[in-house]
Amino acid sequence: MKGSDMQICGSLIKRNVQMFFKDKATFFTSLVTPIILLVLYVTFLYNVYESTYLQALPASLLTDDSLVEGLVGGQLLSSLLAVSTVTVPFCANLFMVQDKVTGARYDLTIAPVKPHTLALSYYVATVINGLIISLVALTMGLVYLAIIGWYLSALDVLLLIADVVILVLFGTAFSSLVCFALTTQGQLSAVGTIVSAGYGFVCGAYMPIASFSAGLRNTLAFFPGTHGMSLLRNHALQGVYSEMSSLGFPNEVITSLKDMSDCNLYFAGHGIAPWLMYTVLIGSVILMVAAYVLLNVWISKKTNKKSKNK
Amino acid sequence: MENSIQISRLFKSYGKVKAVQDLSFRVKRGELFAFLGLNGAGKSTTISIMCGQLKKDGGMVEINGKNLDDDPIAVKTELGVVFQNSVLDKPLTVYENLKTRAALYGIVGESFEKRLSELSELFELSEILKRPVGKLSGGQRRRVDVARALLHKPSILVLDEPTTGLDPQTRKTVWSIIEDLRKKNNMTVFLTTHYMEEAAEADYVVILDNGKISAEGAPIELKNTYTGDFIFLYNTDEAKVASLQKPYEAIADGYRVSVSNTKEATELILKYPEVFTDYEITKGKMDDVFLAVTGKKLVGGGE
Repeated sequence: MKGSDMQICGSLIKRNVQMFFKDKATFFTSLVTPIILLVLYVTFLYNVYESTYLQALPASLLTDDSLVEGLVGGQLLSSLLAVSTVTVPFCANLFMVQDKVTGARYDLTIAPVKPHTLALSYYVATVINGLIISLVALTMGLVYLAIIGWYLSALDVLLLIADVVILVLFGTAFSSLVCFALTTQGQLSAVGTIVSAGYGFVCGAYMPIASFSAGLRNTLAFFPGTHGMSLLRNHALQGVYSEMSSLGFPNEVITSLKDMSDCNLYFAGHGIAPWLMYTVLIGSVILMVAAYVLLNVWISKKTNKKSKNK
Repeated sequence: MENSIQISRLFKSYGKVKAVQDLSFRVKRGELFAFLGLNGAGKSTTISIMCGQLKKDGGMVEINGKNLDDDPIAVKTELGVVFQNSVLDKPLTVYENLKTRAALYGIVGESFEKRLSELSELFELSEILKRPVGKLSGGQRRRVDVARALLHKPSILVLDEPTTGLDPQTRKTVWSIIEDLRKKNNMTVFLTTHYMEEAAEADYVVILDNGKISAEGAPIELKNTYTGDFIFLYNTDEAKVASLQKPYEAIADGYRVSVSNTKEATELILKYPEVFTDYEITKGKMDDVFLAVTGKKLVGGGE
């Protein structure tokens, strides 16, 4: 990208971020979504997760209730982040469609702006907006963990932050590809509803993938979001598992818990290593961003293509 | 005078609907060019193609000698566009909007502040720079729209029904600034409008109907070709008017007599001087031209 394009891109990113924060309805909805999710998880899922862990752990080993609270808290936090890092960018990417609805996109493209510059400006702005909201959600989740049972190390927190960054990049790339094709508010609402309702199940945030059938487990392993959820879960629960190990819990019990909570993901019976999860996630981000930019360039060229047939 | 815009054999269809059919015209540099037509006549389609926003099916568009197919980015720097509806970002202030848009043309820092100062003075924007665009009145918003279109000092200003919905005073102000700029900077103005008095001021008019040119020329040529003259007679009675043996109609204060041209009016005056005690002769209006050419009445304003 040339210097002038960078300057234009920077200006558009600033404009897009300003639009997000000045549109109070969109900003507030995005900010409130993770809070509502956390409240819903705690209200409706806490007891389910707790009883699952209590049944799975031998009573003789359970001398400290806070271990189970740490497990449940870690699972809730990872579920919350797995969902919000994708749904929030969808919400933040609203303005890409709104620009088409209001005609602002017309005003932007009437200027000598290259299509890839405009596409990247939307992407980067949505990443910034999504990161701000998702890091707020992470902070809230960490405060919640500190209240009910803190087992995280500084490294775990850093890895969680890294997961959030990668997942926001992924969620933004995914939403950009979807929103690219949308032109009306109605389409956007429909897609938003489907993603909000379905994504949590697909990535294993609501129900552990381990509880699904083998066929479904293998199918979901193709979806990068599932790998992101597993990474989050690993890092949110790593402290509790270390504590269990130091308290003398048998490795079989810990492995079983890791399987149960999707910290261990399997494809066709083979375990998927964390490095492979990162590769799948980062690779999918690169592929989707490239596809999104190329689609923008292609559409623009289609608009301006030479037509000397008449 | 060299051409600013040259359009040759332009075609565009939406499915079976032929929006633009074999359209060819040119706009000379510094000219006020008016594009007249009903909704659906093909005006907006032509503008969208000119601005690189819509793919054409065939034909050639040249802006200041630059072919749109060869260099759409260069063509875009030549154009400033005022859309029918304001498309600036309503949540952002006037200053933020103009700053963002200026950056798209590489106008940043001191260059932007200098240009902003010039435009603020011209369009009296100082008072509203810090206000969100969504909270401006229609007239204020339109002034900002025009200022935005002029940020990069375009050689061609495209105005797509720019004064629709504005009060007469604001309309007059906006036009006065545009005319001043056009004359000072030899800027070409490409206008689509529903207001006939705006079209009547143009140097050249193209009337579009069903995607084709129905008539074109300077307003006076169009009036001479497509309408006759009108003699307005006041303080007289109908019998005297009828004695002229020309078509006439009663108007509020008298009668309007239709004649083919000014020569025929002169002959009537000489022949029936007793009828012409209180009168005036006018050319036909652009409304009459439009009606004569298309058989349709353009709604929106009268001359």
